[in-house]
Amino acid sequence: MKEASLPIVQESSGPAGKNPVGPEMDPRRASWPVLAFFLVPALAIYFGLTAYPAFKTFIDSFFLIEGRETSFVGFAHYRELMHDGTFWVAVRNTMIWSFIAPILDVATGLLLALALYAGVPFARFFRVAWFTPVLLSYVVVGILWMWIYNYDWGVLNVALRAVGLEHLASSWLGDPNLALGSVMITHAWKWAGFNMVVCLAAIHSLPSEVLEASELDNCGWGAKLFHIIIPMLRPTLLNLYILAFIGKMKVFDLVWIMTAGGPLWATETVSTYVYKRAFNWNTFDLGYPSAIAAVWFGVVCAAVLILNRAFGTKERLEY
Amino acid sequence: MSPPSMMGPRDRGAVQMPRLLGRAALAAVILAYTVYTIGPFLWLATMSVRTTEEISRDHYAWPKTFHWEQFHQAWVGSNFATYFWNSALVVVAAVMVVTLVGAAAAHALARYRFRGNRLVYAVLFSSIVFPPQITLISLYQILVGYNLYNSLFGLTLVYISLQLPLTVYLLEGFFSRIPQDLFDAAKIDGYGDIEIFFRIVLPIGMPAISTALILNFIQLWNEFLFAVVLITDPEKRTLPIGIRSFMGENFQDIGMIAAGVMISVVPVILAYIFFSEKLIRGMTAGAVK
Amino acid sequence: MATVTLTNICKRYEGPSSQLAVDNVNLDIADGEFMVLLGPSGCGKSTTLRMIAGLESISSGALSIGGTQMNNIPAKDRDIAMVFQSYALYPHMSVAENLAFGLRRRNFPGAEIDRRVKSVAGTLGLEPLLARKPHALSGGQRQRVALGRAMVREPVVFLFDEPLSNLDAALRVNTRNELIRQHHRLRSTMVYVTHDQIEAMTMGTRICVMNGGKVAQVGKPLDVYWQPADTFVARFLGSPPMNLFPATLVSDAAGYRAQNEALATPLGLWDQQTLARASAGPITVGVRAEDLHLNREAFGTSSLGKVSGRTVAVEPLGAETLLLIETPAGECTARLPRSISVQPDENIDLFFSADAAYLFEGATGKAIFNDKPRALYPGQGLAQ
Repeated sequence: MKEASLPIVQESSGPAGKNPVGPEMDPRRASWPVLAFFLVPALAIYFGLTAYPAFKTFIDSFFLIEGRETSFVGFAHYRELMHDGTFWVAVRNTMIWSFIAPILDVATGLLLALALYAGVPFARFFRVAWFTPVLLSYVVVGILWMWIYNYDWGVLNVALRAVGLEHLASSWLGDPNLALGSVMITHAWKWAGFNMVVCLAAIHSLPSEVLEASELDNCGWGAKLFHIIIPMLRPTLLNLYILAFIGKMKVFDLVWIMTAGGPLWATETVSTYVYKRAFNWNTFDLGYPSAIAAVWFGVVCAAVLILNRAFGTKERLEY
Repeated sequence: MSPPSMMGPRDRGAVQMPRLLGRAALAAVILAYTVYTIGPFLWLATMSVRTTEEISRDHYAWPKTFHWEQFHQAWVGSNFATYFWNSALVVVAAVMVVTLVGAAAAHALARYRFRGNRLVYAVLFSSIVFPPQITLISLYQILVGYNLYNSLFGLTLVYISLQLPLTVYLLEGFFSRIPQDLFDAAKIDGYGDIEIFFRIVLPIGMPAISTALILNFIQLWNEFLFAVVLITDPEKRTLPIGIRSFMGENFQDIGMIAAGVMISVVPVILAYIFFSEKLIRGMTAGAVK
Repeated sequence: MATVTLTNICKRYEGPSSQLAVDNVNLDIADGEFMVLLGPSGCGKSTTLRMIAGLESISSGALSIGGTQMNNIPAKDRDIAMVFQSYALYPHMSVAENLAFGLRRRNFPGAEIDRRVKSVAGTLGLEPLLARKPHALSGGQRQRVALGRAMVREPVVFLFDEPLSNLDAALRVNTRNELIRQHHRLRSTMVYVTHDQIEAMTMGTRICVMNGGKVAQVGKPLDVYWQPADTFVARFLGSPPMNLFPATLVSDAAGYRAQNEALATPLGLWDQQTLARASAGPITVGVRAEDLHLNREAFGTSSLGKVSGRTVAVEPLGAETLLLIETPAGECTARLPRSISVQPDENIDLFFSADAAYLFEGATGKAIFNDKPRALYPGQGLAQ
């Protein structure tokens, strides 16, 4: 019954004729002009304002650039960098911040999310309220917290004095031993809501059958949390850690507004140091800060790759 | 409470005591954290309607008379109007352009199969990780070279490039979930590729596009680093650097600073009140795994 | 209304895989015919349909609709309408706008558009829904709008890409009947892709069974069911699938027999010369589950085949009982009356009328006979 040899008139294009219309016929393909129409603006912006400047920064790092005068110096900036004490202080501060603070952020976010998950009334309101600081600019957050940390009338010291802990009242941003911690807490204040929302969404997307099964297995709240919820949230939590880490490797605005890196470089970060060397100090050389930026670019990219690898995003929990 | 025995209605209370305590502790934590997040903001709001003189007498008093004229003075006398309109101009222009350009690219990447599709996507997306300093110094030099330094147009261009990766990422994710059947149907109805983008993808993608719009708006409205490097002319300052320089010059004038800060926060808060869910979803998109 | 002719149609995707997605398909669809393309997922049936629609370029071969070569004509100019699996309604348009849209794009006069939309909405009972957006419709309603959107176009060919697979079972039966009704009313050419054999059997004027990008068989539903061209078609149509056993042909005084460790059936009724040619190699014997019976008395005196094995499972379904037995030649399913009393793990013999057997070449799976010795299909071989 196969209809293999039916008399069908072959028309002009021939049996194996290549289709001249080609790709346009397939809705998942488009001709090059169409693709160009969609992609060229974005690519032009990317190459003109991101890729080219980034590349130029690498090149600049081998030059001494003072106004219009540029002279090739090879690796001189990089050598100088190895012996630049301020740079290493900035690296240390940024690293402390980047590795430690995210743990605080994610833990706070998780605890807050669990508090809302416990089924409190008005959870939606609290969720929205707690998220508010995420939306405020660093300028606003910085000014607010400078006032909160004010020695004479800031909330913190006023509260400490009110409960009789006067000896603990301090110059939170003026004391080199406290300044970094104080700025870190402000940063955490801004971002806790972000982590909370993500954790909450992740908890809600856990399959309820698994949680119910754990209740049948006689898990109380604590057991459920440690044996079921946290292990199942692992991918989300690690992802949040990496995001927070990236954010902190770049941190500039808040430090610049609250302490400008001071006192005594106690809050200097790599970002603020680059800025100072490029635009604030009267060194008039854009080559040296370019070298710092280039080094830091490498460090951030490597750190992200390593963290991604170490946390094994390949390993997806199946449920 | 009576010592627990195994049965009887009276024991109910005894069994539930720890539960109640737990509930109370939970409520306390939740309230405390709410005060911690919202409190500073409310404090700022009260200070914005009090004069600096009143504030320095008692920083935590409730405003007796509401000095709304503070806003007027900040708006007119302290240049905040200029800063506000500069910010509005730059941010609105940049957001419009970046969302349209990003949507076009996202559509092409989500819909069409072509060699290098994922490479283009990875290239566009990876710059999310870049520390801003890698482009900051060069962009400064480039803009100086093209006479775009100290210009709102130059800042707009830079802002477009800053938000492009996130926009492409957000919209690509959404567009790729539009079923292919819809495009096939449009094709049968005679739509060309470009018409499909404007007549099908943009209307259908509106939820995601508006999320991207609001998100880009807030992030650029708050942007500080590039503005502070690329703008020095006081007449061209955007709000964040305007506030910052005002604070530098009038360190003690807390009432006026608070009023200025409130001016800068109001559009964000308004956007948040109307689009809180969209905003939260947009800002956290990609972090949920 | 038009014929659709596919000649040596091939589809090759770019990429490392050199296999053809559609391999040399020839198909003649008559005017007003309801042609069902049936096959498992990945068999090329959807790709074939999309090539007819103009949504997929044709790598080689010729496609003509209504006698006109269509290879290079864009989808919009082919005068076809398609109903998609996910319905593909424009979510930002109301039902009325969705219906009118294809006509408006083709610059029909407004009065004509109104007339057609009204008439189709009336036929499909869509009037109360015209102002709604697709998200406010149920699955069945969306399906009807998708069908209506194709109908207002009054195209020469309707294409359907698994349009019922997103509906629940009850709705699927209703919509199936609705489609059959509309086909009788419109008398248009329709090409319908599905993987569901019941849809194919009930709706198709003819069925084109596809496998691995190739056409396995084309024919009227019952022809394909009774005379499967190969083992693939034999197993794909029919539920439970046909039982297949590897066997050999042996001859004695009474003629050829097919036999193996578990099965033996006389083949005296078949053409002995053809069997002699086939006996050179191994063959496959097929018996449908519904042709197997427990007691030989049911058959009268005609020659009987027999399968022996051990029962593995007895599944009473209410109307009937499925019996699964394990034989040295493989598993075998029988569809028996509900009244039988068989226990699991029991040695058992099942009988079938010798002319109910299907014979395939062991190597290629092709049917050895294209016309079995049956005068009429239904109930043949059983004394009724």
